[in-house]
Amino acid sequence: MKVVTGVIGNDIHVVANRLMDLSLNARGYEVFNLGVNTYLEEFFDAAVETGAEILLISSLNGEAEGWGREVKLLKAKYKSLDNLTMMIGGNLTVGSGNAEDIVPRFKNYGFDLVCHQVDLNTGLDMLEEYMRENKHS
Amino acid sequence: MSSTSETNTKSQNNENLLIDIGSTYFKVSTPDSIEQHFRDFNKLILDDLMHKCGNTIERFDAKDIRICSSANGGLSALIIGLTQSYSLKYATNIAYNSGINIIDSIVFQNIEDYSIPSDLIDVVIVVGAIDSHGNVFDNRLSDYIAKLNYSNVVYVGNAKDASILESSVNRLVVLPNIIDNRLHIVEAPLKEYLTNLYQQDIEGKEDIKHLYDITGNQIFSTPFVVNKALPLLQTSFSITDPFILLDIGGATTDVHYSKDLVTDNIVTEHGHDRIVFKKLGVFKSRQSLIFTAEKNEYAYELLMHLKVTEKIYEEQSERATKILMQLAIFLVLCEMSHYRNSNVTLKLLSMNSIVFTGGITKVLKKEDIQTVVTFFYRKLLNSDHKPATVIDINYDIWTLGARQHATCQ
Ligand code: B12
Repeated sequence: MKVVTGVIGNDIHVVANRLMDLSLNARGYEVFNLGVNTYLEEFFDAAVETGAEILLISSLNGEAEGWGREVKLLKAKYKSLDNLTMMIGGNLTVGSGNAEDIVPRFKNYGFDLVCHQVDLNTGLDMLEEYMRENKHS
Repeated sequence: MSSTSETNTKSQNNENLLIDIGSTYFKVSTPDSIEQHFRDFNKLILDDLMHKCGNTIERFDAKDIRICSSANGGLSALIIGLTQSYSLKYATNIAYNSGINIIDSIVFQNIEDYSIPSDLIDVVIVVGAIDSHGNVFDNRLSDYIAKLNYSNVVYVGNAKDASILESSVNRLVVLPNIIDNRLHIVEAPLKEYLTNLYQQDIEGKEDIKHLYDITGNQIFSTPFVVNKALPLLQTSFSITDPFILLDIGGATTDVHYSKDLVTDNIVTEHGHDRIVFKKLGVFKSRQSLIFTAEKNEYAYELLMHLKVTEKIYEEQSERATKILMQLAIFLVLCEMSHYRNSNVTLKLLSMNSIVFTGGITKVLKKEDIQTVVTFFYRKLLNSDHKPATVIDINYDIWTLGARQHATCQ
């Protein structure tokens, strides 16, 4: 399965991104890693060009909130992304925040899976389970 | 406009005479002088050239005359791709570096929303998706292309869609995908194809064809020649990398920039790339320059800063030309900054030098340029950064490139 991943916005925290790349590969995904400093449009564009089923965004520096609001609007402009599974993780707010508020907010922004300060492997397990339950390929 | 210093020496063996034919003026450079003349559009290029510089030209053997030209405007391309960030960006980058001008780029999913350009298009480029993805194009593509007036059409997209397009698009040339399986750019095949087309075009253009009467060498495109000079600039000028080179001419503005200035998803081998702003020139494209300025929210303030009003747009004077050139600098910098989401966004705060060449160097002084650059950094980037301004007063960059190119052949 193809996954597009990267770190959104002007965010240069690269460590999780490298680990993500390794873990996804180890779990058998075909990974398109756009790296740090990636804009929302580039994520969607990469999904179009690769035909990826999953978009996995990291945000570590607290700017996710700003980008999150634009997701639905921008995604609506694409005609071939209706089946794209969208996941976001990292530090999804400034400061610690709490998942009970954050998760529904980001789901409302259009994400299928939201992992605020969730460990990477736990998150990827959630993804696998979600794909098993929701997608019949 | 001419700055001649005729010498009395006779035939200069083994020395080259360099000629550059632009859209507005031409330049003729001997080893010890350089002349520049406005073109007379009532004459054939060759006649105009011989009329104005015949004496100089006759001193040289055909084998020592090297001509480059941007007068045919380069080839025009229409690009149809899947997304702005990948297929269209990659194809645009390759086209610019091959000396091609892009008249429009089309995002395939919305192809019905685009009008059909009425002009003849030299080459239509179709690109999209990695090879393991397919079925991204459908008959809307062939329907659209069928309505175009084009000379060539080339497909550089995913392998899966190639055969079906081949059967539905007339005269389709299929080359390897310019996007590899890691979503990275592959330049060589398309670049070679476009460079060859450009070359054939120069050779085929009636007006340019006549120039082969005086030269025994192939005529190259000017941007190609200038690009040759870039790696050598630091040895001949006080320029520190990374830099940009702005060639603001009559019809277009060419920007050559160090690759260090892009944080881009494009990874290529060469150190300098080129981008063309087709509609930013001060003579032939004057109206579109003004149009762009009127849409720019800072241009008005810049005019105030330069102590003029928008009335200057209607003026035909030296002062107006000067202001338009200053505006052109500003608009080009805007185009390449985050302010405008164009094809290329440069890290302008990391830029150490900004080099000017072309007609602009005859009109603007260093302080005229610096005031605009400073204004730009303050207003748009909120910074006091001051890249060093270098003005290539005597077209040394072009001469350097042309001589370099001559010795490599
Ligand atoms: C190292 C670091 C830096 C380095 C980054 C070097 C580099 N190139 O990577 C430097 C010094 C440059 C830096 C800069 C900044 N940083 Co910093 N940085 C850190 C630090 C100390 C460690 C990050 C790290 O690498 N962790 C190791 C990796 C493996 O873990 P991780 O990033 O947390 O990711 C884990 C999970 O979140 C998860 N994950 C990540 N993405 C995803 C995605 C999905 C889908 C899933 C399921 C899971 C997942 O997987 C990882 C492993 O489990 C953290 C603090 C901390 N201890 O976490 C702050 C931290 C991330 N930085 C922070 C900030 C604010 C900044 C700056 C803005 C500081 C400043 N004022 O200049 C700048 C921002 C620069 C920018 N433009 O992005 C804040 C963010 C606060 C917030 N979100 O509210 C933090 C949390 C520090 C803090 N407590 O204030 N930083």
